[in-house]
Amino acid sequence: MKLLRSLTKALLLAMFLVFALFPLFWILITSLKGGQEIYAFPVRYWPQTPTFDNYRYLFRISDFSIYFRNSLVVSLVASVGAMIISVFSGYALSRMRSRRPKFVLLLAMYFTQIIPTYMLMSPLFISLAKIGMTDSLIGITFAYVSMMIAFSTIMAKSFFDRIPVALEEAAMTEGCTRTQTIFRIILPLTLPGLAAIFSFAFVNIWNELFLAVMLLSSNHKMTVPVALNSFISKAGVNWGVLSAGIVVALLPTMIVFAFAQKFIIMGLTEGAVKG
Amino acid sequence: MQKRGQRYFFLIMLPAFALLTLFIYYPIFQGAVIAFQRYTLFDLTSTPFIGLDNFKAIIRDINFPFFQILLNTVIWIGVSLVFQFVLGFALALLMRKPFRGRGLYSSLVFYPWALSGFAIGLVWAWVFNGQFGMINDILIRLGLIKMPIGFLSDPRYAMMSVLIANIWYGIPFFAIMLLAALQSVPEELMEAGKIDGAGPVRRLFSITIPYIKPTIISTTLLRTMWIMNFPDIIYAMTGGGPSNATNILATQMINKTLKFYDYGQGSAFGVIIMALLFSYAIFYLYLTSEKEELL
Repeated sequence: MKLLRSLTKALLLAMFLVFALFPLFWILITSLKGGQEIYAFPVRYWPQTPTFDNYRYLFRISDFSIYFRNSLVVSLVASVGAMIISVFSGYALSRMRSRRPKFVLLLAMYFTQIIPTYMLMSPLFISLAKIGMTDSLIGITFAYVSMMIAFSTIMAKSFFDRIPVALEEAAMTEGCTRTQTIFRIILPLTLPGLAAIFSFAFVNIWNELFLAVMLLSSNHKMTVPVALNSFISKAGVNWGVLSAGIVVALLPTMIVFAFAQKFIIMGLTEGAVKG
Repeated sequence: MQKRGQRYFFLIMLPAFALLTLFIYYPIFQGAVIAFQRYTLFDLTSTPFIGLDNFKAIIRDINFPFFQILLNTVIWIGVSLVFQFVLGFALALLMRKPFRGRGLYSSLVFYPWALSGFAIGLVWAWVFNGQFGMINDILIRLGLIKMPIGFLSDPRYAMMSVLIANIWYGIPFFAIMLLAALQSVPEELMEAGKIDGAGPVRRLFSITIPYIKPTIISTTLLRTMWIMNFPDIIYAMTGGGPSNATNILATQMINKTLKFYDYGQGSAFGVIIMALLFSYAIFYLYLTSEKEELL
């Protein structure tokens, strides 16, 4: 009876695993197939002659290395930026004592959480066009920092809330300024929290499509999702190259997730507003 | 001292709120204004106010029937939510007790959470491909069908296909959240239930679920909002088609903006979505009354 139970459980766990992994397995296999094999039916589940041709095409002939670098730079800069800015705003919101301004400011933060990013497409495009900041990686970096600020602040606040105020008061009576206290006392204690904020922001920014499609137009400024989108808008999708592009697009966030899973889960269960 | 501290707090919050104002609050406000203007990419020099014309045009649109889009949105949210929740909860329950390799297992089943919805939509578009797709191949090998099905091009199957992709994508979120909640259920409570002779099913419904009810309520309610606002998978798989079979409010707003360059009507969709979101958020706050916990 007990054996039967654990067998059933193992079987169910295995089914969940297979379900979670098969789409990824499938796209990986497709990306390693040659042109003929991809469009073979019945489907071959293992490539007869595995080849890196699709990846070679992606990086040598198309400009995918440029898109990849754009995405990487924008995501890194914007998530670090969002992290730094929200450390301060999160700290202020955590330590503020007057209840009313605190309530209003927190509400203003939560408010942005219900606004989906794609809602900003046309107004941001129109206002950035006025100052000549469309089709600019700097413009979109600012937009991404702003997109992540609210969630990062809420997360930072909840981490700071757990650190006793007495600790800072002690440091301040010994002559530290508030800013010094933040850097010397608070931040070292919340390193896992910072990791959570950073990984969260990185994943969200790396994956963002609609703002980027709207704001970036010239070829050498595209980010990876925009490039994938342009692959499918062209007549006749080349699934070989596209699948290689998808694999490359998925890898960075998978790597971040593998290393930072613990922190991300902590952030999710802590902030729990955006999934 | 108190006053000085206050000023310091406002000072260090300044960058955050300045950026939010410039890149979120102001654009949202502007978006609401554009909804009442004739605003298309083809004629940016003349953008007159036209009252409710954009909203009327949306509701009367013959090519994109508004009520079908609304109904699709409800189906999209409802079906995704039920299956994501039930399967995510089942996975969390299975993972509750430690087993060898649980750490690695959780990385492997939770990873979809971190992936780009758009890229995942493309993966599923390939899985469901009407000519060379894996699902068609499997169904033919099993002898269930004779000819490949155009899952994404046949209106009868398109919604089901995008829903399956979305359910796949959302299971990890619920599993992660519910697993964390499950681990907070005190072991003594379960032991007490066992001693009183409650079987596993009884313990689930009388102990576990009541104990984690707050998490269940808040995750489902928040996820509802999130699914409504998640057009990426549909955009990648069908773009809302075929003949609107998978078109939801969010995808239609994107189509109006990116395909028809009609920012006025796109923004009108935005206003409708925001109105729904707001009513929903108030309903949510009312149900959970987290106003106090916010502080």
